[in-house]
Amino acid sequence: MSSFDEHRQIRESGAAIAGSVGSTALIDEATSELVIVRSQWRSVARRFFHHRVATLALLIFILLALAALGANFISPYDPNPPLTASVLSSARESPSAQHLFGTDKLGRDQLSRILVALGQSLQVGLGVALLSTIIGVTVGSLAGFYRGWIDALLMRFTDLFLVLPALAVLLIAAKNPEPSFFGLFDLPPATSTEGMILLLAALGWMPMARIVRGEYLSLREREFVEAARAAGAGGPRIILRHLLPNSVGPIVVFATLEVGLAILTEATLSFLGAGVQIPAISLGNLIADAEDTVGTDLAYLILFPGLVLFLIVLCANFIGDGLRDALDPRARK
Amino acid sequence: MTRYIGRRILAAIPVLLLASLLVFVLVRQFGADPARTRCQQSRDLKCLARTRVQLGLDRPLPVQYVDFMGDFVQGDWGTSERTDQSVAESIGIALGETAQLAFWGVAFSSVVAISVGVYSANKAYSPGDYFFTGLAFAGIAMPTFWFGLICINYLTFHLKELLNTNEVIFFSIPNATGHGAINGFRELALPVLVLSVQLVAGWSRYQRSSMLDELDSDYIRTARSKGLTRRRVVWKHGLRNSLGALVTVIAIDAGALFGGLIVTERVFSRPGMGTLFLNALGNGDSAVLIPWMIVTGVFIIIFNLFADILYGVLDPRVRVA
Amino acid sequence: MKVSSGVSSFFCLVLGLALLGGAWVSTTAGASARGQSTPGTLKIAAEQEPSCMDWIGSCAGSSWGIWAAGIETLPQALTVTPAGDYTPSSVLAGEPILEIGPPQKITYNINAAAVWSDNTPITSTDFEYTWKQITTGKDIYDKTGYEDIASIDTTDPKAAVVTFSEPFSGWRDLFGGFSFILPSHLLEGKNRAKIMKDGYSFSGGPWKLAGGKSGWKKTKSITLVPNQNYWGDKPLIGTVIFQFITESASEIQAVKSGQVSSAYPQPQIGALDQLSENPELKYEVSFGSVFEAFWLNAKAFPMDSLAVRKSLIYATDRQAIVDEIVKPSVNEGRVLQSFIVPTFPQYYEPAFSIYGTSANLSKVNELMTADGWKKGSDEIWAKNGRKAEFDVQTTAGNEARELTEQLWQSQLAQAGFKVTIKNPSADVLFGINGPKGRFSAALYAQVGTPDPSLCGIFCSANIPTKKNGFVGNNWTRLTSAAIDTPWTAVDSELDRTARTVSVKEGQNALAAEAVSIPLYQKPNIFVWNTAQIGGPLQDNPTLGPFFNLNLWYLK
Repeated sequence: MSSFDEHRQIRESGAAIAGSVGSTALIDEATSELVIVRSQWRSVARRFFHHRVATLALLIFILLALAALGANFISPYDPNPPLTASVLSSARESPSAQHLFGTDKLGRDQLSRILVALGQSLQVGLGVALLSTIIGVTVGSLAGFYRGWIDALLMRFTDLFLVLPALAVLLIAAKNPEPSFFGLFDLPPATSTEGMILLLAALGWMPMARIVRGEYLSLREREFVEAARAAGAGGPRIILRHLLPNSVGPIVVFATLEVGLAILTEATLSFLGAGVQIPAISLGNLIADAEDTVGTDLAYLILFPGLVLFLIVLCANFIGDGLRDALDPRARK
Repeated sequence: MTRYIGRRILAAIPVLLLASLLVFVLVRQFGADPARTRCQQSRDLKCLARTRVQLGLDRPLPVQYVDFMGDFVQGDWGTSERTDQSVAESIGIALGETAQLAFWGVAFSSVVAISVGVYSANKAYSPGDYFFTGLAFAGIAMPTFWFGLICINYLTFHLKELLNTNEVIFFSIPNATGHGAINGFRELALPVLVLSVQLVAGWSRYQRSSMLDELDSDYIRTARSKGLTRRRVVWKHGLRNSLGALVTVIAIDAGALFGGLIVTERVFSRPGMGTLFLNALGNGDSAVLIPWMIVTGVFIIIFNLFADILYGVLDPRVRVA
Repeated sequence: MKVSSGVSSFFCLVLGLALLGGAWVSTTAGASARGQSTPGTLKIAAEQEPSCMDWIGSCAGSSWGIWAAGIETLPQALTVTPAGDYTPSSVLAGEPILEIGPPQKITYNINAAAVWSDNTPITSTDFEYTWKQITTGKDIYDKTGYEDIASIDTTDPKAAVVTFSEPFSGWRDLFGGFSFILPSHLLEGKNRAKIMKDGYSFSGGPWKLAGGKSGWKKTKSITLVPNQNYWGDKPLIGTVIFQFITESASEIQAVKSGQVSSAYPQPQIGALDQLSENPELKYEVSFGSVFEAFWLNAKAFPMDSLAVRKSLIYATDRQAIVDEIVKPSVNEGRVLQSFIVPTFPQYYEPAFSIYGTSANLSKVNELMTADGWKKGSDEIWAKNGRKAEFDVQTTAGNEARELTEQLWQSQLAQAGFKVTIKNPSADVLFGINGPKGRFSAALYAQVGTPDPSLCGIFCSANIPTKKNGFVGNNWTRLTSAAIDTPWTAVDSELDRTARTVSVKEGQNALAAEAVSIPLYQKPNIFVWNTAQIGGPLQDNPTLGPFFNLNLWYLK
């Protein structure tokens, strides 16, 4: 298979979690071959912080994450207050000093609700990145090192998803009201945060697997792997001691980008009515619920959750970019 | 080459069949019951049973699937389970609508992306380059549906107030405008803009890096040392050679658009493949969903194949095996 | 040459896409009037595209199709006035003559002038054909009533004498409602569904589809032109185009900027303010036949107790729900006090006013305590170790309903009930959870009809069970003789006065049994441009605002 083919398939399957084509551009850049050794971590950190935009993005990301984490303490209002007459009487108030982002149709403080939603979006983003990395690295390692039927299966499986429009598949799969793990035990439905994480990870681990597989394929022919094998090291040892540490770069970069992709995808599904449902609040369903305010004075109900959504994804992507530069000195000029 | 194409197409058939089976099982298992959707408001208790028999939903699932696919491969795409409309006709109409949007989106995006990419590569690491890099990152992080709503909010509603006119500048509503180029522009401008954000962001980055590679290559240096002007080198050699890589990427992404305009069509309430899909999904209409999946799959495969061939033609270093 | 092939293949790609995108060229060919004598073109926004035009088939069954194309092109025996009364249409020579019998017999005297668009007279044979199609068809939407017809006597072509095998009190909806009289001379022996589903060239109304099937441009529009052979009031407009604009904000934009002259959009916040900005627009807000309600599953704990059901109504501040959900969009609204809407005043009985419109917590305490419930330390009612907690479901993604649920959840929490919101998608709610009873309380709408029968949703015979294959629309699953008796009588009582008594008694029984909680009627906005159109414009909650389109004129 040509390197172009490989590249194209990673691009395409990257779109599986993005639900759109454009967002895969970052993945292209993430897959450049990166090799680092442990002692270099300090210089990696130094190089990362040298990337000023990435540093700023990391700072904002951490601040937003802290705000979401501490939503209970810093929220000016209860995001889900009892809807008493006094709360209802402040419904549909434009942004003011009292309510920075205004109030929603039932008088609830929009800022407080956005903080809760942000926490939910971050949970999805980080959860999907973590889970799909675990699955992707495991499958990719097995396929890349042992080849054989695992590899064949992985490639065929990815081929299947290459020809299907990813968003359509997600929309159909999210319909399942009572998902289960191959009939063995029940899983939470996609209308809950946990269910959404499982769904996105279940359909989103393949690009990671292909990246890891690609790395291993090039690494396994290298001298140090040959040497380890000659010294009598077994498969698991070679994977854990030699191949995996040397593939950490692309894995970390891609996992970071996946955070942003997962957050965007969840929001998009929510907007299309297939995402997490109330009582869970997500940035996507805040926007979807306010769709009918387009063109009215209440359009701030769309504006602010979208801005926060945009900001968090932007930060995640910039962090990924900084990591890529930091992990691959050759990419810098 | 012909053998290569033939093999690729043959390899795609089992994948498409598997995809159709997957869709059928998922939709039948978890989707709406088209017979119930039809008889929703009927007072007649027997409507449900009757419609189930009429639609053949009372037969065992494997029989339904085999029958359906048997007719399908023989060219009989049947009728929608919800509306009884011809599926082939519905998909044809939807493809036309989507192709229109996709065409303008791809045309507009490629022109903008190439210009930006060439500029950025030419002026690499200048403030202008950083500006466009920032925009590209913004474009990639932009939630399409939100950007669409914001565009409608400000460009169709508030712009009018700003200009103090009752005349609509951007309409973005299909069917409401009259005919002719100006109305076509009003109707398509916003959807095309929204669709282009991510395409431009991705493609301009791509063009920038492949152009940088070209400008860095030996023959450009040779040309420069021969005394050709920088402008001439950049436009004549750098651009032409770097376009090849971008064209293949555009081909791949354009193929994916036929199934990928779900969000844009939904935000702007446009008819097309995305809308057809969402409606069919809401009705559990597997008679539409399966052909829909296969048609979009075929488009993706064709455009990928096209990209592969282009890549082979453009870059003699890669020879398809 | 390698260098130039890069550029040329780029244009090759663009060209290829251009060919694929070529379809739009054809779409710009507008459907113009084909040599009609009446001038002018009227554009109206239609919020939904009909799913199919075989009106009696189950593929149809959507209101917009009937409003925008059905009643314009095909005759019905009785039509419904804006006030909800049945009145003979132009097809009939007068009121149908009802003989109570037994056997029940109805004579429809057909207007001597009534003809199809090809000048063939409309006769009793057309009634007979329609009846036979409905009763013997494989894929019919609703056979109710037609199956009770024993025979139709066609000896007099201008008088259809319908004899019933069983009394059927809802007879006014026959050859009307969601069905139409069909032309037997064109359809007899042919595949009716196939001829009609994509549009048809014949007509028995004031309008016909321009060019038959081509009058319905899929995903775009329906074009109507006058039926030159219509015997009644001939249309005053040359061409009417219903353009599908499937989003209400866009509809309002379109009517505001004069792109369309009229629309009938779903109300949304700020809509009226927007419409008021254009002084040429006039609008009418009406409360139609669609109403929202919390439906309670009487088989689910704790709704199996009458005291709990009553308490739930007392705990619900329905006025607050109307104030927050309905009023922001149309500035008015009222609590619905029955399961028959006041749009049809002859049958409406505000039975649920015994519960008031706002929350009455002392009444809740009184009823719950008497029923053996005690509030625990968490302020939630409990009885025999079980807490009064349950889930509520509605169609996920429907914003107004989600807001209503959250209001209700908050109101009930204050009264000592714990409600969990658990929303499935619409198809799961209507396809699985509703019929199979997998819900405690659910929020969704019902459509009221001018005919007051409610047995379908409240009689115990219509409870879906495993035994009957989960068929039946009584999802409340309440078995009560007090409800069954009057509502069964309503379905067979032919005497109008006696029927009205049963209808009112039935509504009171529904309130006494606290079977579910009616909330409000959904508002409609009918808007038109007074600078462009004139005529007796008026909304008709049953037949839509275009029911008298033939009387409209262009200014």
